[in-house]
Amino acid sequence: MTTTLLRHQWLAFWRSKNTGKSIAVRVVMAVLILYLFANLLVLSFFLDEVLENLFPEMEAIPAFSACLLYYFLLDILMRFQLQELPTLSVKPYLTLAVPKHQIVNYLSVISLASGFNLAPFILFTPFLVKIVLPQAGFFMFAAFSLSILAFTLFNHFFSLWLKRKVNLNAWYMLAFMAVIGLLAFLDFRLHLISFSAVSTTFFGHFASSQVLPALYLGAAFFMYLINFYFLKSNLYLDELRSAGTAKKSGTDIPFLNHFGRPGDLVATELKLIFRNKRPKSAVLMCVFFLSYGQIFYNNPEAGTGYFAPIFCGMFITGIFIINYGQFMFSWQSSHFDGILTSRISAQDFFKSKLLLFTIFATISFVVTLPYVYFGWRIILVHFIMYLWNIGVNTVLVLYFANRNYRRIDLSKSASFNWEGVGATQWILSIPLLISPFLVFFPLQWLGYPEAGLAVLAITGLAFLITRQFWLNKLVAIFKEKRYMIAEGFRNL
Amino acid sequence: MPKALETYKMIELLSLKKIYSGNTVVEIPDLKIAKGETVGLVGNNGAGKTTLFRMMLDLIRCDAGEVLSAGNNVARNDSWKNYTAAYLDEGFLIDYLTPEEYFYFVGSLHHLSKTDIDEALGQFSDFFNGEVLDRGKYIRDLSKGNQSKVGVVSCLIQKPQILLLDEPFANIDPSTQIRLKNIIANVNRQERVTTLISSHDLNHVTDVCQRILLMEKGLIIKDIQTNNNTLEELEHYFSVLQ
Repeated sequence: MTTTLLRHQWLAFWRSKNTGKSIAVRVVMAVLILYLFANLLVLSFFLDEVLENLFPEMEAIPAFSACLLYYFLLDILMRFQLQELPTLSVKPYLTLAVPKHQIVNYLSVISLASGFNLAPFILFTPFLVKIVLPQAGFFMFAAFSLSILAFTLFNHFFSLWLKRKVNLNAWYMLAFMAVIGLLAFLDFRLHLISFSAVSTTFFGHFASSQVLPALYLGAAFFMYLINFYFLKSNLYLDELRSAGTAKKSGTDIPFLNHFGRPGDLVATELKLIFRNKRPKSAVLMCVFFLSYGQIFYNNPEAGTGYFAPIFCGMFITGIFIINYGQFMFSWQSSHFDGILTSRISAQDFFKSKLLLFTIFATISFVVTLPYVYFGWRIILVHFIMYLWNIGVNTVLVLYFANRNYRRIDLSKSASFNWEGVGATQWILSIPLLISPFLVFFPLQWLGYPEAGLAVLAITGLAFLITRQFWLNKLVAIFKEKRYMIAEGFRNL
Repeated sequence: MPKALETYKMIELLSLKKIYSGNTVVEIPDLKIAKGETVGLVGNNGAGKTTLFRMMLDLIRCDAGEVLSAGNNVARNDSWKNYTAAYLDEGFLIDYLTPEEYFYFVGSLHHLSKTDIDEALGQFSDFFNGEVLDRGKYIRDLSKGNQSKVGVVSCLIQKPQILLLDEPFANIDPSTQIRLKNIIANVNRQERVTTLISSHDLNHVTDVCQRILLMEKGLIIKDIQTNNNTLEELEHYFSVLQ
């Protein structure tokens, strides 16, 4: 029976309405995912050297044992955020003569097909084969492998169960991540506590207590059973969705009242963002990107040139414009007809988009002011890129938004969801990422990097001052394209 | 708005045509709808009712001809949006808002304050039957029938001069259907709202509408002023088609 259900799932994939259209997108995505896994693989081959650098005073295997629990903590955090159980696909089977436990079994089996369950093996197998097997023998190798398998499965079913049990929103996730960060800081930097000692008790004593892996597998199986019975007793349409939410209350932002009609529209769009899974994740990604500079600025070599600050500045102040803007107006596809027929002028509609972009870019710029720690120069470049983003990139993004006819279902989750991804997004990324460097690099080659920065700033400002002109252009194009956009959004 | 237009031709369709891959789905040489008329649009699935509505709302491009609203071409001039309210399907609702938020939003587009809206909503408490307001649910979590109620009421609180509803009687319970008929009749009598309703329910549509347009394969094949025989005539037409 489970195989029949799996076959149906397979058919559903190939016969879904947009298979034909999006096959190219899927191929590109598959390549990207393979690339990610390849990265993991490369990292895994050098894991022993990484560990040696991190813990020069420790042997590779004890260091590995000390870190493993951190990995699984991060793993569970990522799972909470990204992992989904394909529940609604079983709807048609609920009333047919299919025993409940088989449906639940199917749900459990199919949920295992996830990158999260593959990642630990890609990441750790080379290390286990290269170091553990020759140094500690086959028993240790098997013990580590089984324990990693057990912890992966435990995390898998635990996160599925907890996600259904309680409603964890993004703030809990951030708090949880902060706690992990704090643990690592207290542990490795200040040596106040030793969480790695806890990790070592879990993974460091296989030689003396040989039952540990079996114990872990038992725990994983126990978690599977909990999840199984929980699902089985809650296999009702209204209960399958993630845990219930409290009564909805409106949050109004008085600040936006100063901007008239566009302000109203922004307030509505903010509700769109924070009440729907996918845009919310897009914005959450922006929060992660705020720390993008850490990667570059910590490296003294990258810190000297202008490339790193320009690159980081563009992403840090503009990530919302890029990440959210690339799918405009698809976010509103489900009620686009309503927008077109209601009393909203195209001018106001576009003004609201510009206002939204400006607000987010400004917040990003202000929040990342602490980068001043790495020098005033960096903040200056960030500011120039901020001007560039709200001047040039907003217009660019909206220009492409007029050519985006793909519908997006807001309620679906963001992870590995390629709905609404099309050629527009790929083409858009080219001018978006390259244009500032087209301006900057020629002048740097001529030996005037400062002049390059000045031209960037002036261009950004010039676009800002002439905003009305670009707005009129965008509105004119929109009037021409609106039928196509609305038509595309109506296609389910 | 010139006086003559106001009373005579609120809506005018001139040699209107829509073609999808070689098939003509709507073809209307000439149709005039006067201010204050209630017009019912009937026809089987695929007759072109929704396409016609969408063209009247400038949601799809006409392949030929034009739609005039109070004398202005709807595709060139946005002024019709100021006095036209329409609900065709859930695609008109912003589904991540609560009903109240949505009403306030629509109201704000017409410069109506929250108090205005609250007052206007008071008239519809029977219509909502306690299932829509103050429930703390987003529109997307309401049943289809209740979503449809939200859509219809959001049109009415705009105090429009032209009202377009696509199958408003579908999905709602019989009591609400009767209430809706009364509401439409009332706004028509009191405010002289020009109303277009499409429906598969011949009883309701002949009850409410003074004029019935019967569509078949994109053409208006009958244009009847409603009288005692209209229902019979329509039933005859639809039963012969079987």
